[in-house]
Parts: sequence; structure tokens; C-alpha cells
Amino acid sequence: MKKRFLLIILSCLSLTLFAARIDLNKASLEELKTLPVTQQQAEDIFNYRFYIDYFQSIYDLTEIESIDQVTLNKIKPLVSVSHYTDKDEAALRRDEIYYLIERLGSNEGLQEGMSDVWEDYLMTPRNINKMPFSEILNMPNTSAIDVAAILKRRANGDTLANYRDLRFSPGISYYGAKNLQHYIYYKDEPSDNKVFVDYQMKFSSSPFAGDESEMYKETMIRYDTSSSQPNTPSIKKQSYWGYFNMESYRTEVMNKIRLRYLNNWKAGLMTNSDKMDTSFFMDSKSKFADDAKYYVGYESEIDLLGYNYLKLYAGNYRATFGEGLVMENTDYYSPRKTGYGFNKRITGIIGDISRTQEYSLRGVAVDWKRDNMNAVVFLSQDKKDAIVYDSNNNGKLDDEDNVLSYITLSERFSNDDLESAEEFFNTYLDEELPYVNDNIVNIAPRLDAVEENLIGGHVEYSPFIGTHLGLTGYEATYDRNFVVPDADSLAHLLIAFDDDAEAKWKMTDAEISSMYSTLTSEYDRNYRRVVGFDWRTVLNNTSFQGEYAEMEVDGSLHKIGDDPSALLMSSYTQFENLSLLTIYRDYDLEFDNPYHRSFSESQRYDDTEFDKLTYGLNNTLLTDMYLNASQPSAEKGFYIQTRYQFHRMFTLTKAYIDFWERKSDARRGVRFEAKLEFKPIHQLRFRLRNKIQQKRYDELLDRGRSTAGETQLECIVYLSNFDKLTLGFTHASVDQPPYLSILANPAIAGAPDMAQAVSHSNGDLIGVDYVHNFNENLKVIGAFAIWKAYGASFWDFEDVELDFDQSDRGYKYWFNIHSRIANNLFISLKYKYKQFMTRELEFRDYNEIPTTGEYYFQRVESNEHYLRLQLDMKF
Amino acid sequence: MRKIVIVTTLLLITGSLLSYSILESVSGNYIKNLDARSAAMGQTGVVSTGRLFDMFINPANLASAKSNTGFQLGMNFVNDTENRSLPMYNSFDAYSGEGTYVSNENVFADFSFAAYYKYEIMDFDLVAALSYRPQISFDANYFEEVRNNDNSNNNDFPPILANNYIESEGAVNAAAFSLAADYRDFINVGFEIAQLDGDAKWERKINWTDDAIDKLLMGPNPDSLVLENYYSKLKREFKGMQFKVGANITISPRIAAGFSFVPKVDFDVTGTLDSLDIEDAVYMYYSQPDSLGNAVAVDSTMYSEFITPARMKAGICFQPQNIMKTNFNCDVELVKWSEVNDLYDDEFNFFVGIEHVLKHSIPIRIGFSYETSYGLQNHNGFVFSDKITKPSFTAGTGFTLLDRFTVDIGLQYSYRKYEALDLFMDNYYWQDGDYEALWNVYYEGGVISSPIIQDRGWENPDTVKERFVNLKTSISFNW
Repeated sequence: MKKRFLLIILSCLSLTLFAARIDLNKASLEELKTLPVTQQQAEDIFNYRFYIDYFQSIYDLTEIESIDQVTLNKIKPLVSVSHYTDKDEAALRRDEIYYLIERLGSNEGLQEGMSDVWEDYLMTPRNINKMPFSEILNMPNTSAIDVAAILKRRANGDTLANYRDLRFSPGISYYGAKNLQHYIYYKDEPSDNKVFVDYQMKFSSSPFAGDESEMYKETMIRYDTSSSQPNTPSIKKQSYWGYFNMESYRTEVMNKIRLRYLNNWKAGLMTNSDKMDTSFFMDSKSKFADDAKYYVGYESEIDLLGYNYLKLYAGNYRATFGEGLVMENTDYYSPRKTGYGFNKRITGIIGDISRTQEYSLRGVAVDWKRDNMNAVVFLSQDKKDAIVYDSNNNGKLDDEDNVLSYITLSERFSNDDLESAEEFFNTYLDEELPYVNDNIVNIAPRLDAVEENLIGGHVEYSPFIGTHLGLTGYEATYDRNFVVPDADSLAHLLIAFDDDAEAKWKMTDAEISSMYSTLTSEYDRNYRRVVGFDWRTVLNNTSFQGEYAEMEVDGSLHKIGDDPSALLMSSYTQFENLSLLTIYRDYDLEFDNPYHRSFSESQRYDDTEFDKLTYGLNNTLLTDMYLNASQPSAEKGFYIQTRYQFHRMFTLTKAYIDFWERKSDARRGVRFEAKLEFKPIHQLRFRLRNKIQQKRYDELLDRGRSTAGETQLECIVYLSNFDKLTLGFTHASVDQPPYLSILANPAIAGAPDMAQAVSHSNGDLIGVDYVHNFNENLKVIGAFAIWKAYGASFWDFEDVELDFDQSDRGYKYWFNIHSRIANNLFISLKYKYKQFMTRELEFRDYNEIPTTGEYYFQRVESNEHYLRLQLDMKF
Repeated sequence: MRKIVIVTTLLLITGSLLSYSILESVSGNYIKNLDARSAAMGQTGVVSTGRLFDMFINPANLASAKSNTGFQLGMNFVNDTENRSLPMYNSFDAYSGEGTYVSNENVFADFSFAAYYKYEIMDFDLVAALSYRPQISFDANYFEEVRNNDNSNNNDFPPILANNYIESEGAVNAAAFSLAADYRDFINVGFEIAQLDGDAKWERKINWTDDAIDKLLMGPNPDSLVLENYYSKLKREFKGMQFKVGANITISPRIAAGFSFVPKVDFDVTGTLDSLDIEDAVYMYYSQPDSLGNAVAVDSTMYSEFITPARMKAGICFQPQNIMKTNFNCDVELVKWSEVNDLYDDEFNFFVGIEHVLKHSIPIRIGFSYETSYGLQNHNGFVFSDKITKPSFTAGTGFTLLDRFTVDIGLQYSYRKYEALDLFMDNYYWQDGDYEALWNVYYEGGVISSPIIQDRGWENPDTVKERFVNLKTSISFNW
């Protein structure tokens, strides 16, 4: 009895003492000062809570430099720690998946807006037990076999209750389940009535890429070619580069904001001020209205006669179906876009605030999915940039003229600016030299030259799990005629000098002359129609899929085989440690569908006048037809890719071989690339990559054979948990056909030239990257690379973007600081400096500096600065 | 009677920038920021509780002083590298790049000082400060060698004909009194009144070499031509008064916002241009061509006019919870360039800065800024404004000594690129053929040709690439 009484007394006493304790997570600074600590220590405790984190336990006090063990022992009985946080569910979720958001961000450049969709799913995962096939398949790194495995379990009446359930679904791969786990819940998502806001600002002062700057610098003023010494005036304004003073402004700013309420209501707005815009934001209100991208969308699950999933979008949207033969609207070309891994497509409709401008769709779209069917209707009305030429020969480019093609411009100068520049080039007079300009510009790009009204749709039926049959089609009507003259006329239209035109026209230019016309001798219409059907079926661990499409030219839309077509068939087999992908494609030359984005080895207009003849084109800006071409080249070929982990330490991370033939000139190519990783211990990795590619004609005596090879060795060392060092060496070589003008070696003076040998170029690049994580919220990456590459070139992956190093000799260094300022605020700041020698040095003795002025150069070199800032806010 | 002088030196009237360059040798470099911590944080500081020098950005920051008294001493070093290039054309007549014909690298230094005293009265903290600092700097140097065409095809060094110089020095300094008040750590207001006083000397010289003199003596007309060195000097003295007001408000414990405003300052300028009183020296130009390209509107700028535009700056400071103590500052500045010249547009500048305090109280500061300024360009007598952008990244750190001393180091790295006319036109060394003896004949296609040296106008302007490394250090004492 006495004991019980004593216990009660002690309990009361301890409760009283406990009640008097100071709660470290709630006490004011004044209350903390009442503890037996110095004023500085009290402030340090207060500041720790304010700046660093709330206390999880009393022992967190040891994190504070001024609190030693003696002080801790002293105040331990006097303080308590209550559970406290001011983070909401979203903030906690963001903490949990921050590394995945960061990873998505680093791939965004390649994904074109898809990372936004995936990030939404990361933040608000959806119920895997309800999602339809195509929605699960849209998740990153998920294969149709994985999805079929999940759906088969659901069809058996099972409910996936957790990751373990998911992982052990028969047929699902380890990586499929692992990648999927963060994007899904196993029950209905909690209805947290929260509006998610994502704001992103990207600033970059990137220099113009080599090909772009060459295009703009090429002369547009030519003297009379009939003169014995044809010459051009050496003035900077002879080119677009000089005319538009492109030395000065190189700032590109993108502002993007997305709003989301649950996974139901979505909205977005994006403005992009390109390099030649003179203001930080867009130049004018009208430009804002025309070029800003925006959308409002509604997505919802509806229980009506079974499960339904409905998407409604107004504004700009992305539409992608099947293998991208009929419709995938992006401005960006991606070689070997398999639809797997990093080349994934998100099919269906999603809101679009990506940088895509030319092929953006603006209007309304409805996407309705049921368990076994899917129907999509989309409407768009948008003005497209196009090439206009003086088809009525009235000496000016106006609304009465026909257009040749869509064009994605590197820089969108206004139509007024373009007209002024053309007038300057056309009428340039040199006071000193008799001058006739042979090169009157009669073909030029114009902004918003064609209004495109597009109506399209997709229907899909799934008779059983993993199998579907789909039909996609669209009709685009135009307010102007697309007219492509015959090859001879086209050569004279595109090539600057009539005398040279036919000589310069090559077989590959069939890709240009086979562009689509709405007006021919056989028909007169105002539309372009493309239809196709796609399919997929999953058998055990293999999925078979494909798409066939036709574009109506001179046949009937309803009849198969009488119009230009495109076909892609593929199969994908997956084992636990091995996957195998095979793709066969065959695209007709005349299949000129501007929204075609399927798998290919090269982009359309490769090796044509648009690619190789910038200096000879009537208007150098036409080079953009190739530089920014997003359609695949007309080709047929067979591609095999595998990934195989054949030993605990060895993984063939990617190996593929592709055999293909270009349709325009029957040139054949083969490309092989393999990446092998050796990981003896976790902290040490070696990566070996080898690529070899050969292109040649069937006729072995033909000189058009080129071979390119690249070998790369990387050593990655984790020096500690915070430090990573990567050393890399790359060797590249190119063998090209001999050109008479360079390698001719006549046996006797005056005898016919005979090309000898092969032009061999090679180069080496050595690079080192170092990553230091100060902690999980602050990371610095620094890199240095030096190269010598006479004729060869390198692609260098720099943190979140690719850099192309083509110059003869050079070096660069860059660093990038990633800081997570707060749970909802991220910043990344990158600076790069690149210095390189150019070919100018070689012909320095022969160059034509202005006939006036200095004669002495200290040096001839180029350097580039690049600064990039990205700010992300998420609420 | 007012004499009119049209000076051939171009790019004379330019917008003010932050750094030291020949481009601003006449218009001056407006120094906005002197604090090393702020400089390291992308030059942000409209809302800052960091250092005394932050009051130069926003006088309301002064009221955040935690101690009763203190001072700050700052040093500012600027390294400016300028490369001037002229266009090169490849054998297919395309403009292919630039050849650098002159490089200049200079280092300049400035010093600044401020001290404060705090007085508490009821719910208010009143803080007063005195400071002395450079406000506008005219420091710049340019040196160029003129070489002839001898041996240039063999990559040898051709002889020097003349040495060209532009030497500019001087500064307008601000002696300022600042007063700020803080009400319950909630709202701060402050103002500054500064007496601006200073002088500037700008010299342009062309010195012929003995080699050039000898060459001309050996030419066809040795007696009729004498090479005389060229010398021109602009000397100015400036007086003006500058006001600055600002306010800060604490929106939440973690977020504070601020605003500061500096009205335009129209200086009283006295001085001489060579032997001419500056009041009589006018720079004339045509500002508007008609549709046929003829001059219709004649405009002029007085050498005695010197204006710094009004600047409005707003910013926020965010102090989030992070695993390391973190400050995030973001400022936007509106510069009323239209007050300086009708051809200019008002422009926004942007500043972002972060400070992370790592273990052992070592701060790491990084930042970014994007600034726009103007230069006037002369094109065949017509003047147009040319906007020049300058992005920067910044970094820095600091440490504390003896509890009361704080040392900060900040580094700002910036670059810019613009087109400009040749600072020393080439016909001066040819004189329409009179100085032909200075130049060598050359062989082109087996034919002996004589060079023709002409001025390069806007058809082939220079490309100027500049790089600035700005190192700021400061030491603060609080007691």
C-alpha cells in the first residue's frame, strides 16, 4: 500500500516536472534564455529551430556547435521535445521523392514536357488498381509486358495492396515494378484539397550553335557571277548575322507556370523569349498572345457503366498515338526513338507548355478511356511558320504566293524584319564596284504564314488484356496552297545561281521534291489527310506492336496501298536480366506527314541541299529545314537492341545494331553501338562504349562511303559518400570519301584528276568531372575537357544538357551548382567557358579581311561564355 | 557665341554600367554595390540584415543593425579584359569569325568606408551612419599598336607605326549621411543624402614611332609631310546631390520585402575639352533619318550634361528552414534610362542570391545577375541606341575574427559582347595615300598591289568581347 502511494506521489511529481519542462519546438527565445545556458547558446538553439529543423529528440541539440555534452546533461531534465512540423502532406511527399524529381528534371531536355506529367504522378500518385492499360504504360520505364502482368492480376480479382504484391505479380520485371512504385498508390489517392503550383524560370545566355551561326553568317549578297572575278562585298551586313546584329543579344528566357488541383484540374502557361528578343520577357502583347502556350485541362475517373477515364483539354496540347507515324506533335527530332526507356512516348492527350512552337496544337481535345476501349477527338486551329516563294513571279513575297513547306525556325525574326533584310540584300549597291545582284531573294520563311485547321481522332479497342487495335487519322486544312514544283524548277528556285542549279541537284534532293502539294496537275485541294492503324499484343514475355499509315496523295483514303505509306513493326522481349527489342521500319519518300516522329536513324533532308549547300541556297535561312527537321528521313531498316546483365559485375547496359537504307538514293548504312559497365565494387565503375557506323552505296567503287567510329572509356570513382570523380577518354575517327578538290593528284600536270586515298580524321577528348555533395541539399559539379579533333566531333553530356564539340582544338570547363533552398524552392546555376581554334586559322594567310583596316592580328580564336539559371518553385 | 565642336570619337555617350571599361570611360561606371557579401549574392540586398554597406542599396537596411555601433571598410578590385576583333571572311566570301587585333587588360581599385551609431527610443531603433564611397568611376585604359603589313603573310611581327592610347581616370565620390528607423522589427524606413563630388580626366593620344618617322622620310615627299603626335584631353569636374529612400517590411518571420528609390541626378559639370571651355563643347548628331535616309532631325548632347538615371529596386529575402542556414534574396531593378536619352528604353535588371552556412559557420554564397545598359552608336551620322546585356555569376565566403570582426570576400564574373566602331580610325595612318610610304606593297596573284587603308564604318564594325572579374573584400566591426 505504501509502495502504491509512493508511486502515485512520484508520478504526480514527475508529471508536474514534465509540465514545467520547456518544449524546444515551441519555446520563445525568452523562455530558452531561462535555461541554464548562455545567451549565445539560447540564441543558437532558437536559430537551429528556425533555420535548420524542428527537434526530433533532445539529442539533436548536439548538432549545435555551441552545445557540448555538459550543457546537454544540464538542460536535459528541463526540456522536452514535442512532435511538430509545419510541412503539409505535399511537402513531406516532396521530401520523400526529391531525388526522383531532380532526376526527372535532369532528363527534361530530352523528354519535352513529359517530365511535368511524371512529376504530377510522383506528387499525387494514382490508384494502380483502377488505372487503364495505356495510363500505366505511360509511366517511365514501364513496358507493356509489365502492364499486362498487372492487369491480368486485377482481372483475376486480385487487388494490389503494396509493393510486395506488385513486385510478385507474375510476369512483371524487377525494374518495371521498381520504377513504377513511386508513381502509384494501392488505394484511392487521399483527397487533399490542395492546389499545386509549379513555377519554373530558365535563363540561358547560350551562344548560337555552330550550324546555326554558319547559316546566319553565310553571305546573302553576291556579285554578278558572269563577271570574270565574281566577288562579294566583304561587309558584315551581307549576312543575316550582320544585318540583325546577332553578336549582341543571346539571352533566352523561359517562364512556365503550372497549376493543378488533385489529379483533376490542370492549367499551364509558358512564355519563351528567344535569343533575339530584346526584352527579358516577350517583346509585345501580340507576340505574347501568338506565341505563349497555355492549356486548361480536366481529368477524372467516372464510374458510369464501368470504369471510365476522361480527359478534356483546351489550349495547347500534345497528341501522340501508336508509334508516332500519324501524330506526335513535337518540334524536336530524336534519333532512334524506340519508345522505350529514355525514348518513351506518352500516348494520348496531355497539356502542352513545352518549347514546341511550330507543331503545337491549339484547340480542344477529348480523350475517353474505358477498360477495353479508348476514343480521342482533337481539334486545332493555329498559324504555322512556312516557306513562301514568289510563285506568281510578281517580284514580291505576299499572301498571293504559294508555300513550299512548314519550317521550324532557329530564330523567329518578325516578318517585317525579314522583309527589310531581304530588301537590303536585294538592293545592295556598292559604290566602288559595278554590281549586279544575281541573287534576288524570292523564297523565304514567314511567320504564321499558313493557318492550319486540324481535326483528328483515335479509336482503340482492346479485345483482351495486352492487346489492342487502334485507328488514328487527321485532316489539316490550309488557307494557302502548298505547292512543290517539279525537281528542275525546284533546283532553280532553291539554288542561288541558275547556272549551277542543275549541277548541284543531287539524288538525295528527291526528299525535297517529294514534299506534299495540295495543288498538282491531277488535283486541287486545301487539305492534307493521314490515316493509320496500330496494334499491340502481349504474349508471355513478349509484346508485338506496330503501326501502318498512309497519306492521301493521288489514291483513295479508304483504300490501302495506293498512297505513300509508312510502316513500323516491333517486338520487345523481357527477361529478368535481359531485354531484346527489334524494330522494322519502312517509310515512303512521299510520306510527307509533318507530324511523323517515329523511329529513324536520321532526320528528313539529311544530305540534301538544305543540309550541305547553305552557301549556295537562294536564302540561307532555308538551312533550318534541315537543322530543325523533326520528321524522320525516308528509310527502311532493321534494328536490334539489347540490355543484358550477364554477371553480377558486368552489364551490357545497351547494345544495338541497325541496318538501314535511305530511300532517296539507296545508300545503305549500318551502325553498331555497345555500352559495357564493369562494377567490381560499388564505389568503382568502368564503362566502355564503342560505336561504329558505315554508310555506303551498293556499288563498291562508288566514292560515297564514310565510316565513323568512337570509343569511350570512363572510370567512375565514389571517393566518399559525398564525392564522385569521373575520368573519361574518347577517341573518334572519321573516314570520308576523297574530294577531288582536296585530294586530287594527277599523274601528269594537266591530266585528268584522280581522287586518291580516303580522307581520315581523328580526334581525342579527355575529360574529368567532379561532383561534391556538401549535403543532400547542396551539390556542386565541376568539369574540364580538352580535345583535339581535326574533322572529328564529340557529343559531350554535361549534367543536364548535351554539348557538341566540333572545333579543331579546344578546351572547356563548366560548373553547376544545385541548391535546394527550401522544400519548395530549387535553384541551379551553371557557367561554362569554351575556347577553341577554328579553321579560320588555317586560311588566315588567304582570308579576305576587309580591304581596309588593320593587318595585324594578335590571334584568331573563338570563345564562348554560357550562363544558365534555373529556378523552380513548387507549392 | 557658342562654338560647336563635332568630335569624331564615337561611343562617347554611353549608358552607365557597373564595371570598368573603355566603353564607359566618358559616361562613367555607376557603382551600385560595394559590399562583398552582397556582391557574392548576385548583388542582391534590397532586404538584407547582413552588412552596413547594404544601406547603399537600400538605406532602410541600416535600421537592422544589431549592435550599438560599428564600421565597415571595403576594397573593390576590378580586372577588365577587353578583346577587339574585326570581321574575317572566308574564301567563299562568308563572314566566318573575328580576328583579335588588340587586347587590353587592366586592374583598378576603390576603397569605401562607413560607420554607424544606434540609439533606442521607445519602440524605435534609430540608426545614423556616415559613409564615404566611390559613386561613379571613370577609370579605364586602352592601348593599341598600329602595325604595318610588312611580313604579315609569314606570321612574323610587322613593325609598329604608332601607339594609340586612351587613358581615363577619376571618380565621383559620395560623402553621405544616412538615417534609418526600425519599428519593432516589423518595418524599417531610411533615407540617405549624399554630396557627390569628383573630377575626371580623359586623354586620347597617338604617338608615332621612330620607325614610322624614318619610313616617311624615305618616302617620295619627305619634306612636305611631318608626323606629329596627336593629343586630346577632356577634363571635367562634377558636383551633385543624391537622395535615396527605402523601406523594408517583415511579411512573416521568414519573408521580408523591401523597396528603394534613387531619383535621377543632374550634375553640374565644369571643365575643358582641349583648350575649349566645356560649356561650349557640343556633340552633334542626327537622330532621325527620313524615308529616303536623309538627315532631318539634328540632335546634340552637351559635354557639360551628365545625368545618372533614376533607379527603383524591389526585393524579397526568404529565410527557409534547411539543413544548413539559408538566405535567399531576389531583387528587381527598374532603371529609367529614358531620362538620360530619348533613344533609350527603361529597362529591368534581375538579381538572385543564396547564402548557405555550412558547418563551422562557413558561409557559401552564390548568385546571378542580369543587367542591361545602353550605348549610343553612330551610324553614318545617325545615332541609335544599342542595348548591351551583361549576365554575371557571383560567389563568395567569409569568416569571423575575435567575435566582432567579420571579413567577407565576394567575386563577380561577368562578360558582354557588342559591336562598336574602331576607336582609332585607320585612314589616319594612311591620310588618303599621303602616308603611303608607311605601308608595304604586296603581291596578289603575281601582281604588285598597294594597300588601301580606309576607315571601317558600320559595314565592318569591331566586335568587342569583355570579361570582368570583380573582387570585393570588406571588413566589418560591430560593438
